[in-house]
Amino acid sequence: MSYVLAKSQNNEILEAGECGGAVTSILKYLLDEGLVDGVLALSPQDDVYDAFPVFVTDSEDLLKTAGSYHCAPTMIGDLVQKYFIDKKVAFTVKPCDMRAVEELITRHKINRDNIYMIGLNCGGTVSPVSGRKMIDLFYEANPDDVVSEEIDKGQFIIELADGSEEAVKIHDLENEGYGRRNNCQRCDVKIPRKANIACGNWGAEDGWTFIEINDEKGQELIDGAKKAGILETKSPSDAAVEGRSKVENIMIKMAKKNQDATYPTVSEMTEWSRCISCYACRDVCPICWCFENCELNKPYFKDEANIPPVPIAFQGVRLSHMSFSCVDCGQCDDVCPMDIPVSLIFDKLQKKYYDRTGYVAGVSDDIKPPLYSPEKTEL
Amino acid sequence: MSDDLKIVGLLCNWCCYGGADTAGTARMQYSPNIRIIRVMCSGRINPSMIFKAFQEGADGVFVGGCHIGDCHYDAGNYKWSRRSKIVEDILEEFGIEKERFRHEWISASEGEKFQRTMEEFHKTLTKLGPLELE
Ligand SMILES: Cc1cc2nc3c(=O)[nH]c(=O)nc-3n(C[C@H](O)[C@H](O)[C@H](O)COP(=O)(O)OP(=O)(O)OC[C@H]3O[C@@H](n4cnc5c(N)ncnc54)[C@H](O)[C@@H]3O)c2cc1C
Ligand code: SF4
Ligand code: SF4
Ligand code: SF4
Ligand code: FES
Repeated sequence: MSYVLAKSQNNEILEAGECGGAVTSILKYLLDEGLVDGVLALSPQDDVYDAFPVFVTDSEDLLKTAGSYHCAPTMIGDLVQKYFIDKKVAFTVKPCDMRAVEELITRHKINRDNIYMIGLNCGGTVSPVSGRKMIDLFYEANPDDVVSEEIDKGQFIIELADGSEEAVKIHDLENEGYGRRNNCQRCDVKIPRKANIACGNWGAEDGWTFIEINDEKGQELIDGAKKAGILETKSPSDAAVEGRSKVENIMIKMAKKNQDATYPTVSEMTEWSRCISCYACRDVCPICWCFENCELNKPYFKDEANIPPVPIAFQGVRLSHMSFSCVDCGQCDDVCPMDIPVSLIFDKLQKKYYDRTGYVAGVSDDIKPPLYSPEKTEL
Repeated sequence: MSDDLKIVGLLCNWCCYGGADTAGTARMQYSPNIRIIRVMCSGRINPSMIFKAFQEGADGVFVGGCHIGDCHYDAGNYKWSRRSKIVEDILEEFGIEKERFRHEWISASEGEKFQRTMEEFHKTLTKLGPLELE
């Protein structure tokens, strides 16, 4: 593991990039050298609340994908396993994306040799809907006039077309039920150390990207991009490395505090009676990969007695199949049409599993015997 | 009264089911609340079977398998043992007391252990009373 500060040698990319444009430059290097068939990155659509993953095969198109989109809580793991299993691809990962990919590698659904994971540190994402609402409520601006947003020093900052900025403390937004998604507020994996490299602004000087190189493949990426003349690097100061680690620890502490809040059990929550068994939470979950073989497709779950579904029968299936591997990505909360905080209980169960085994989904190296393996061990 | 309590028992064919048989043949007395379902191995029991039993009115669910080392299929009871921990954690979420779910290793010759276990389990459930799901 080592650290570098990196900056693009391409002015357009440097201009468009969030920090030093290092990520976009490395993706361009991979495409131009033919090391990958394509790149998955986010591209903003109509406005800043609306970015989604695009598959880029021509490096000219990468410029549109540069920048950080905090109101785009997407999930890459599911896409890669479903559509790019046979392709060589590079993609950006927030820590939850990385964790999902790791869990899918364990399940032989993604081949590590076929992928490059470019990690982005992540302080959290905001759901597009509540993002708009909170700008309407807490800022002077019209949500439609926002041209870019960023999270810095505990504030959610918006920039308007005329170049003016407005900032509100995230803490204040979250106290009012806005700000980062609930799962992000509990998330204690801030730097994606299973990705080949982890990039961020923590510890970086203006116009540079701070990169933690996590493995050999990551080192090859940096060396290759430099040799190709698209990236320059320098060493960060000790103070920068230390400062970065300080912020990381503060963020983790904040997350743990949120985790320590006592969450009600399912039987104490009224929300669950709203479930309409639409299967959206299952379909979006990166860890649920059985598709047509899913136990929930059995006719028994479509019986009249199960509409509305009894939570213990319906969610019990998913909980017992995969909660120990839940990466707390919050996708299930995002898609639930009845606004049930689905991830809460899955994350809670993964933490109980952690208490029993020490296993953190998508992070631990020592793979504990999955529930269905023939290992002769008890918990 | 407590004799309305319903216990669903999932017993592995090779050991615990034999144990129940032994208890029966020897005319050992135990409360008749258990409905036995024979499965080939404790390792084939899915958590959702336990959940379904509770959902459909069981007040307690019992699982019986071979002693560790004796599973007819080598490691099935290890699998069950790991799975049972997850089942416990999940039941807690749904407000079902963990005492309502019990598992035990009982060999075909242990008729007496089967009888004792059933009596104990029945006593526990009598104390807890019928299960009321939401
Ligand atoms: C939601 C979010 C939160 C972040 N929080 C922190 C933080 O707290 N601390 C920190 O040090 N760094 C954080 N970062 C990382 C930082 O903002 C920069 O992305 C990183 O430093 C790389 O800068 P760059 O100029 O090299 O990247 P660029 O060259 O601008 O490339 C960024 C790449 O990331 C992709 N991308 C943008 N948004 C997303 C997204 N939502 N999900 C997946 N991929 C995306 C883009 O498509 C592009 O390919 C965060 C990034 C995101 C997306
Ligand atoms: S259960 Fe929800 S939070 Fe957990 S991995 Fe699946 S989609 Fe993500
Ligand atoms: S609920 Fe279970 S069977 Fe269905 S997709 Fe998820 S893991 Fe597979
Ligand atoms: S997405 Fe919501 S409503 Fe649909 S099945 Fe899941 S919990 Fe129920
Ligand atoms: S055969 Fe009895 S537990 Fe496996």
